[in-house]
Amino acid sequence: MDLLLITQLLALAALLFAIAAFARRWQAAHQRPLASERAPAKGSPARGVWYAFTLGMAPWAKESTRRHPIAYLRGIAFHVGIFAGLSALLLGPLWAALPPALRVLLAAGCGFGALMGLAGALARRAERDLRALSTPDDYFAVLLVTLYLALAGVALLDAAWLPAMYVAGALLLVYMPLGKIRHCLYFFFSRRFFGLFIGRRDVLHSEVTR
Amino acid sequence: MTAVESALQTFEKQLNRPLIAALEACARCGLCAEACHYYAAEPRPEHVPAARGEALRRAYRAEHDWLSRVFPQFTHAEKLSEESLARLSEMAFSQCTLCRRCTFNCPLGVDTPLLMRTVRAMAGAAGAAPELLVMLADAAIEKGRDPSFYREMFVEQMAELEGELRARTGDPAARISVQRPGAKVLYVALSGVHTILPPAIIFTAAREDWTLSLFEASNYGVFLADVPRAKEIAARIVNEAKALGVEEVVLAECGHAYAALRWEAPNWFGETFPFKVVSLIEKLDQYIAEGRLQLDPSVNTELITYHDSCNMARTGGVIEEPRRVLRAVASHFVEMTPNRAEAYCCGGGGGLVALPEYAERRLAAGRPKAEQIRRTGARVVVAACENCRLQIGELNEHYGLDVQISALADLVVKAIHGPAVRHEAEKLFAGVHSVAG
Repeated sequence: MDLLLITQLLALAALLFAIAAFARRWQAAHQRPLASERAPAKGSPARGVWYAFTLGMAPWAKESTRRHPIAYLRGIAFHVGIFAGLSALLLGPLWAALPPALRVLLAAGCGFGALMGLAGALARRAERDLRALSTPDDYFAVLLVTLYLALAGVALLDAAWLPAMYVAGALLLVYMPLGKIRHCLYFFFSRRFFGLFIGRRDVLHSEVTR
Repeated sequence: MTAVESALQTFEKQLNRPLIAALEACARCGLCAEACHYYAAEPRPEHVPAARGEALRRAYRAEHDWLSRVFPQFTHAEKLSEESLARLSEMAFSQCTLCRRCTFNCPLGVDTPLLMRTVRAMAGAAGAAPELLVMLADAAIEKGRDPSFYREMFVEQMAELEGELRARTGDPAARISVQRPGAKVLYVALSGVHTILPPAIIFTAAREDWTLSLFEASNYGVFLADVPRAKEIAARIVNEAKALGVEEVVLAECGHAYAALRWEAPNWFGETFPFKVVSLIEKLDQYIAEGRLQLDPSVNTELITYHDSCNMARTGGVIEEPRRVLRAVASHFVEMTPNRAEAYCCGGGGGLVALPEYAERRLAAGRPKAEQIRRTGARVVVAACENCRLQIGELNEHYGLDVQISALADLVVKAIHGPAVRHEAEKLFAGVHSVAG
């Protein structure tokens, strides 16, 4: 077996572990109770959830993101990079069949994401409040993702880096459900609950219609 | 069982899906910092809402996270101890008013107030909750268990007040009935005539079929995040409304009472009530829309601004109603910036205004609200919440704002057509200012 195949199998095993671990987390969360709402709704819960995942994520929707558009957009770009990087990993065996333009686009997405990740790690270290909030887990998570994105970006342009990308990808996939990155699962829970809240109580209505 | 064990047992009981989401979703990005009025007043790392959440997360990770159990320093996991429980309790009761502003500003929608309510419940179970809140809650429960003595006295007081109502409205048929079966509306006031007489004038003017509750709307069990206590306090009103067969319960201008009875209590009881629960603000808005009140906005000539109570607006969804009422009763209205769901908490929420030991901290945290008020140039601040009015009254003195503080109902009474009402309302309004301001 060549090195590429071994690292691909390693990444595949890590992917299966990540899927199983996230499924277990999802199941464990759903085993916890969720009280049914008995108060008559004033607005539409569904509309609230829709808002929470769409316009509610816009940079202008919240005072915090209006105040710190650069930090927010850096975070968004970082996460777009992560999606590009994970897509690249999943599409890895098919790269040869991908149009060159798409590969360059994915590489650019990964590279930009890596830069944004690095900037995030530096900001976390430099800013007093962020530094006080941070755990070693926070730094490890952002640096691991940054490393992976950088390797994915390079590998998309030069196949010699593919084994390194798969090893970093495998490490990332194993770490995802265990460490800080697992917030990617709970984001959907949290945002949904927020959407249900503002929709049901019609807080959204005033925000949108004023 | 030790205090720590009691606290952890309560934590485990409360660990439902929304709480798991709030514990797990935070990415510690820090974007919530300026959303908190404590941070806006004193920008210190411990005032970042995410930092408050982390205080509980440390204990959660130590119990529930594999990685944290193996490498606690990697995630700052820390077993709950007497010291950390004391720190958590102090923080939850004195440095968070449960205003939800951080949640609305969080890109992930993390419900930090839910975490703080959980800590409050843990503190209560461990005997570490503020004694005054516990006493107030228990006194309300006691009154509900045996209201007979209190009822006689209250009915007498209301009979006296009825005379005043008749004089003020010029209506000899005006009544303040207490617990009258068959009434359409049950009005639940706060303690004090100032939350009874103005609504009584309004109900009379609107020809409402109403009666007065024997109990107060306030619910200190909510501040303790103690659902059994909160439920028992709410049960007094719920059972009263059911026994009287009313169609609607109208709550005084009180933020937490509204959030509790309108939105939370049906879940505590596991039922949808057979009556509607509305705030007096919503009722006023309805009367105006239906043309049941003849109002003259030209009588309220001073520049007026409106403070959105967090419980009424962000938590309760009562946002445009008070504005429609204000436009109908006042000729000069100016918004604070920011407002509505983005409004700053006044600093008195979450039971803080009832806790003298935290007065200094509360007034410091009210600085963003004081600055907002000052920037409007308004001479009158209207708030649809008693706790907010008390806090803004104190901010008024502390920061030298030179404003008058008013309930919305007082302005409505002043604007009601009819010389008898207007003349007396002006006297009443002046009295309210001297008390609150």
